[in-house]
Amino acid sequence: MSGALCVLVVSNIDLKTNVAVTKPSAFLKSSVRDCILNVNNDYRYMKLGYYVSLHAEILGNKVVPTTENAVDAYRLPILLVRASKNNVPTMPYIVTDSVKQIMAEFKFPIVVFAVNPFSFEGYYVAKNRSALYRVVKSLSMNYRYAVCAQPLNGEMVSCKSFFGRSNIEDASIGEIAEKVYKTFNIPICKLHIQYVDGKAHLCSLQPLEMEEISPSDLNEISKTVSRFSEKGGFD
Amino acid sequence: MTRIACFVEKYNFSYSEEAGALQNFKRAAESMGHEFNFMFRNGLSEIPKYDAVFIRATTDPLYTAYVVSKTAWELGLKVVDDPESIRVCANKVHQYRLFEKYDVPRIPTLFLNKEEFHHRTIEEIFELFGKPIVLKAPYTSFSKYVEKVACETSFRDVAKRFFRRSDFIVVQKFMPSRFDWRVGVLNNQVLYVCKYMMPKGKWKHGVKRRGKPSFIWGRTVSLKRDNAPQRLKEVALKACSVVGKGLYGVDIKEVNGDYVVVEVNDNPSIYSGYEDYRNKDIYEKIIKYLTE
Repeated sequence: MSGALCVLVVSNIDLKTNVAVTKPSAFLKSSVRDCILNVNNDYRYMKLGYYVSLHAEILGNKVVPTTENAVDAYRLPILLVRASKNNVPTMPYIVTDSVKQIMAEFKFPIVVFAVNPFSFEGYYVAKNRSALYRVVKSLSMNYRYAVCAQPLNGEMVSCKSFFGRSNIEDASIGEIAEKVYKTFNIPICKLHIQYVDGKAHLCSLQPLEMEEISPSDLNEISKTVSRFSEKGGFD
Repeated sequence: MTRIACFVEKYNFSYSEEAGALQNFKRAAESMGHEFNFMFRNGLSEIPKYDAVFIRATTDPLYTAYVVSKTAWELGLKVVDDPESIRVCANKVHQYRLFEKYDVPRIPTLFLNKEEFHHRTIEEIFELFGKPIVLKAPYTSFSKYVEKVACETSFRDVAKRFFRRSDFIVVQKFMPSRFDWRVGVLNNQVLYVCKYMMPKGKWKHGVKRRGKPSFIWGRTVSLKRDNAPQRLKEVALKACSVVGKGLYGVDIKEVNGDYVVVEVNDNPSIYSGYEDYRNKDIYEKIIKYLTE
């Protein structure tokens, strides 16, 4: 979106910035032609954040994030495929609803993620067979959806990412947050990362709940939004 | 030789007509010298071994079928249904917004936001469209999550249910008809034409039996595509042109001699002895498109 003349910020968050911020409900009734920066804590499919991006696209506007990226980033197998194409280190994974298949592929402990995008739940670690059965049944919503299983070879770390900047000071995590942002342009999200032998690997991306955004996070988001608006475009 | 993976779920083999159609696809592919294997949700790691993916399981960005489609797309494989078509067709708000933008003849439609869901709006909708009206969840498929309401109480009940998954829902004018046209389109060409009849006394093709989980379906009357009205085919192709170039089933109502689009479906039903009854070549045409 570089070179854009004007950026309209649409946000459901009360940003502390001098830049004019439009509420999603007002934006959805408008027919403005601008570049749209959609700052929302949740871009899940069919939620308000998603419809803001969709509205912008239908009007022919450039928008961050696009609906395609919003859908893909929250669908874990697609996140991992696209991220690894962009040189983000990822863990090996398997998408299935079969516990037997997971056990044939990986040794315990195994970390299991929901592929259904309804939940805010992060992940569960299964240390044995019965725990794995329980976790798969729960995360797959009684086997309706598949789950994504990954081996747990190191330590799990979760970080918040605002415009590609991690709230955890760590070069390896920072690099992942930046690359994930460059790939998907999701302004606000939570990243689940696994540290294996001192190297960070992307495991999953999730929306942030509003309560998880602290005052210092809000300052960080507001500063970045002001910077984008002053520049009149995006890098 | 092209290696084709056909992504299916167990329920695709529940009805003998659908299972028969899947076998017809396999037979057509093999007689054309291609490999055709069924792939279930536990076989996603096999996708890179194939050249093309044909999805028959129900598609939605929330389902595994979208993961299959997008993964195949990212790997550069030919895929039906492609991820863009799934995103547009699975969300009726997205689809009708595109119809509005490109002026596709359509049923009068409004979108209702969760935040605007109050007495005044409901009254305005009834004034505009009359009673009853049709409420549609954006994720509707197989006639599910489409309900007719004639009073504010039932409007609220149904809308509340649909708002659980989506922050927007679709409101449409009720336009009763004895049948909906179903036009199958592949790569901007008409593939087959049918009439989806409404069961006796009902207003949509598939109706849930009261108190039971099963559905009653209306008859399917197949026509030779060359014998179908020209204007019908034009409207169907125009509707598909705003979605993409894949395989679609367009539902159209005939109103006062003209045609209005109800919706475009990706992943249209193809049942042996129904959609293919007068157009036997649909299997070869789809396989040919996948292997081109």
